[in-house]
Amino acid sequence: MSLDFTALGKQVRQMSGSAAGSRLDTASRTQQVAARYRSAAAETERWAQAVNLSRETASWLFALPVEPLDTVRPLPTCPASYALVATDGSQIDLDRHGTVACALVNVGRVFLRYGHKPLARLNSQPYLYYTEEDLYLTDGLRRVAIEGNYLAARRDVEEGVALADLADEMLDGSLPALALQDGTLVRWALANAERFVQDYFLQRYLSYLERMRKSGVPVASYISRPRAPEVAGTMRLMFCPDVDVAAGKGARCSECSDIRAHREPSCKICEGLIDADIFAERLTEGQRGPLFASMSRINVECYGEHLIHFFLIRVGRELARVEVPRWVATDAEQLDRVHTLVYDQCVRGDGYPVALARAHEQAIVRSPERRAFQHMVEGSLYRAEVAASASMKRESKEFTRG
Amino acid sequence: MQRIGEVIETSTTRFTAGAYALHAASPFGGLVRAQSLDAEMAVYGLVYEIRTGSKEPRWARRRFAGGTYTGRELYDAEIYHEHPDLAEVLQTEFSALTVGFSAERRVYHYLPPQPPPVHYSVYPCDAAELTAFSQSSDFFRSVLFAAQIPSDELLAAVIRTIARARPDPRAYLVDAGREVAGLLKDDYDRLNALLRRIRP
Repeated sequence: MSLDFTALGKQVRQMSGSAAGSRLDTASRTQQVAARYRSAAAETERWAQAVNLSRETASWLFALPVEPLDTVRPLPTCPASYALVATDGSQIDLDRHGTVACALVNVGRVFLRYGHKPLARLNSQPYLYYTEEDLYLTDGLRRVAIEGNYLAARRDVEEGVALADLADEMLDGSLPALALQDGTLVRWALANAERFVQDYFLQRYLSYLERMRKSGVPVASYISRPRAPEVAGTMRLMFCPDVDVAAGKGARCSECSDIRAHREPSCKICEGLIDADIFAERLTEGQRGPLFASMSRINVECYGEHLIHFFLIRVGRELARVEVPRWVATDAEQLDRVHTLVYDQCVRGDGYPVALARAHEQAIVRSPERRAFQHMVEGSLYRAEVAASASMKRESKEFTRG
Repeated sequence: MQRIGEVIETSTTRFTAGAYALHAASPFGGLVRAQSLDAEMAVYGLVYEIRTGSKEPRWARRRFAGGTYTGRELYDAEIYHEHPDLAEVLQTEFSALTVGFSAERRVYHYLPPQPPPVHYSVYPCDAAELTAFSQSSDFFRSVLFAAQIPSDELLAAVIRTIARARPDPRAYLVDAGREVAGLLKDDYDRLNALLRRIRP
């Protein structure tokens, strides 16, 4: 054992002390920001314009209000019977020290039907990538390995395609239905990718959303304990001294008048605050806040009619973020269905959607399974008479691990 | 009869099967038949334990504290109705003590040369098959002296089951009682307890 707990304990105590201090500070700032939000309720249009004016020139994320800022939507009635599909994935990344170059994505698939004739179907589908085309993206002479973030992007695509397949297979349109995913629908990880990599994955991802749109089944994703500061970014505009919507002036962080006057920027009050803090006191059990469009660059530039919108919903002691594409956001009936079904799932799942918990259980690859997979690969290579051996580094590590 | 499960663990003296449906195991003391590698051979076992638990050791185990679950109170069958996923994440298994086998249309009341293979089907036996199997009481001994199972309870349950499947239950119970008395002649207390359990 090489972790020195005596030394660590001291640092952990210091950390707890400083966390308690910063919590007090955050609480008082949250109150001020929430009060400002309340006072801006009647000016939704104005702040939407301010967001559009500042989008290119401000250095933080924004959420564009689509509904009045003071919207508090009570929980719609839940249908007596409904069906939903959900997927979640896990991956084993390309192992440079392993015997052969390959990567694995495992997608958990869940179908649940409630009410008159309850039914559940859970399974998982593995995808093994090992060919040159599987492992690399090429554009002329450039060759990019699909690993890490890019493998995660491939996983997102596989999850989406699996969800669309599952919807085709299991949902016959006789019941209100929903297709649910875990995490965000905005593919942040691709934002800084090379253009051809971004195109490759986004095209496939968006065509999955398009398939869902055509099938008429609303897609939503659920983010437990979201850390996004997008509404908080819009709040910054309300504190910014430079914003003047009437004069067509947005925030320009590079020319901030506070910094020029050697003052602390007025928007600093929002620093470190997240969207959930702002809505924490406004929403009671099951209620949702107003709809916003996420203004992240990749969303605005690439998603088109699938532009991702989101709202926050109160589930027990936490606020969760639910994301939907534009075609769900603009359809009041579908939006209400997402609202109530997501909430019902959370209630059945003790605070987290049952379907997603089950999909995760199906998708996850535990360490004994991981080892079994490794042995399967090695055994199969051995029988195929391909020399199979792990790197010296891996062998050494396995020895230490015991 | 329909197959009800498949073998998930096997050995010469006992085998365990996973039931295809939740809570759908053969009853305690029931005779089951497992298919063998040799298509002409089947292995007979008596169910001595039924258990239901989570397929996923850590993840699927959930707290079901009290009845307040979805705001309104749910109990018993209602919980399964409102949570259809439970039937998928819970699994019923049953273990059977191997007491004989059939080969070439004959029944033998001793251990088969090979246990049933893992993943092979398990079937419940109907009254006719049970009656045919119980023509001889040779398996009583294997049950009584099997280790680490509730052997007396099992034998009593088997005898009652066989009696019910026959046209004259009383006659069978009396015969079986005599057989047990012979086997337990050295242990009066145990015999007495067992006889009470199969009293006509």
